[in-house]
Amino acid sequence: MDFLNAIVALSNFVLIPAIAYGSQLALGALGVTLIYGILRFSNFAHGDTMAFGTMVVVLVTWWFQSMGLNLGPLPTALLALPFGIIACSALVIGTDKLVYKFYREQKAKPVILVIVSMGVMFIMNGLVRFIIGPNDQRFADGERFIISARDFKQMTGLQEGLAIKTTQGLTVITALIVVALLFWFLNRTRTGKSMRAYSDNEDLALLSGINPERVVLYTWLIVAALATVAGTLYGLDKTFKPFTYFQLLLPIFASAIVGGLGSPLGAITGGFVIAFSEVTITYAWKKVLTYLLPENLAPDGLVQLLSTDYKFAVSFAILVIVLLFKPTGLFKGKSV
Amino acid sequence: MSSNPYQDGRGNKDRTITKSGGGTLNVDTGTEQDKHTGEAFLIGDSMTGGYGKTGPDILHDCTIAVNKGEIAVIVGPNGAGKSTAMKATFGMLHLRAGSVRLDGQDITRLSPQARVRQGMGFVPQTSNIFTSMTVQENLEMGAFIRTDDFSDTLAQVYNLFPILKDKRHQAAGELSGGQRQQVAVGRALMTQPKVLLLDEPTAGVSPIVMDELFDRIIEVARSGISVLMVEQNARQALEIADKGYVLVQGANAHTGTGKELLADPEVRQSFLGG
Repeated sequence: MDFLNAIVALSNFVLIPAIAYGSQLALGALGVTLIYGILRFSNFAHGDTMAFGTMVVVLVTWWFQSMGLNLGPLPTALLALPFGIIACSALVIGTDKLVYKFYREQKAKPVILVIVSMGVMFIMNGLVRFIIGPNDQRFADGERFIISARDFKQMTGLQEGLAIKTTQGLTVITALIVVALLFWFLNRTRTGKSMRAYSDNEDLALLSGINPERVVLYTWLIVAALATVAGTLYGLDKTFKPFTYFQLLLPIFASAIVGGLGSPLGAITGGFVIAFSEVTITYAWKKVLTYLLPENLAPDGLVQLLSTDYKFAVSFAILVIVLLFKPTGLFKGKSV
Repeated sequence: MSSNPYQDGRGNKDRTITKSGGGTLNVDTGTEQDKHTGEAFLIGDSMTGGYGKTGPDILHDCTIAVNKGEIAVIVGPNGAGKSTAMKATFGMLHLRAGSVRLDGQDITRLSPQARVRQGMGFVPQTSNIFTSMTVQENLEMGAFIRTDDFSDTLAQVYNLFPILKDKRHQAAGELSGGQRQQVAVGRALMTQPKVLLLDEPTAGVSPIVMDELFDRIIEVARSGISVLMVEQNARQALEIADKGYVLVQGANAHTGTGKELLADPEVRQSFLGG
């Protein structure tokens, strides 16, 4: 019984949150990795792109809510998602035409594009805070839990409860669908293959008649969709606060680099590696250990390796370790 | 390093491919040597020029021509401008004088991409395949500009290179050197070109594989495609060549059929090692 309780407690506090968080990071890292693979620079504005897309979703959600439109048990935000994706696509394509295109024509070095993307990041950051304000915004509605802790306890008679939030379930399912669609697109369609070809060998892609501007356009469209979906899922799961999205940049980049920049499969793996590291290191293991260990060995302290305030230190440490010992990441991406 | 502050010297990136437009068309200045280019299918006529608008001239009044269904080979010492001469016919150079004509049509001002659409296929010497993609995907990308059904061409390429059919779902980067070259040639053949340009197709492959590659190239030429190639292995290349060009310092030094050049004592002395 104690063993079962330990597993339930572990699932409740570590596994389920980490899987949900990992899916969100994976979607974010996929966007970063696609930009790196095809436009060949690290897009620092990605976190704020996510924030912008999510902001539009939040605003449209509020509008729908004021009209009484909802999806019953599911969050209204799902209905608003397409609007967010469209607005976000317009923003990134506008930015590309206004800013990045100039540097692309100059055949600028990647490092210059990185600095440029930082400028874009500050502008987008300001734009989002100007429109919606810097504060926390709640926009999740519908059913809160798939299984609540109390129901679970009643069902199983265990001491520990297992709660699965609707947003967590939704995150995992949406992430699976989006990733499946993305891989199908990249591996099966002509346009997707041309994007991979361009990422692999730019000159040969040109010789084969692949139009780079077309490839870049499709990349931005996909990145906008990925960023909006990732941002909305994160916002539903937690809350929407522009500054948090800016901070998400670190774990997202850590995920992309751990997996290997430019490798979509790596981005997904990296997302889960970072999420599980962050959650397991900042989790207080006292409860689980008390169940598992004999009574006289039960820990007195919280057995928390790092306070949650320092969770970014985990991604940062992993990032540094990977860059030192395996710069190309787990899936043999490009070195930074 | 160029003077443009936005750029860096990413050396292996051949940016000349992206050049839009092309060289300028000037009056044929003529050469002193008789090259019998009257019936040529592709001809780079009296080309003078170098890389970039301001770069020094690498080619000096150089003429390269290939007839329909024949194999023309460019040989010469290191740094003679062999690859440069071939790239010039493909529009990767800024020509200050001379012209390039394909099937009687002047293509001097076309970009390399436009020349692909006109029926030229080009196989670069290095990074000539998509390493992360499967063999079949490489061939599909070769046919990117085709909107019709290209399964016939795919079958033909697999027929020509049976080993590729066995490995069609394998990543091209995992293949051996010779097989990579087959993928590279196959990719270029997918557009059904009328002229195939090969930049040192046998660089870095073993002698046995080299013989096999030459056999395949002869087969390609027999199917009516003109082949223009640059080769390090001058002797073997001239043996299969209908026409050979020996370049020295960017200018024509000797021209003739492959057999003539092999028999020419001066060519033997200087390039074929006696």
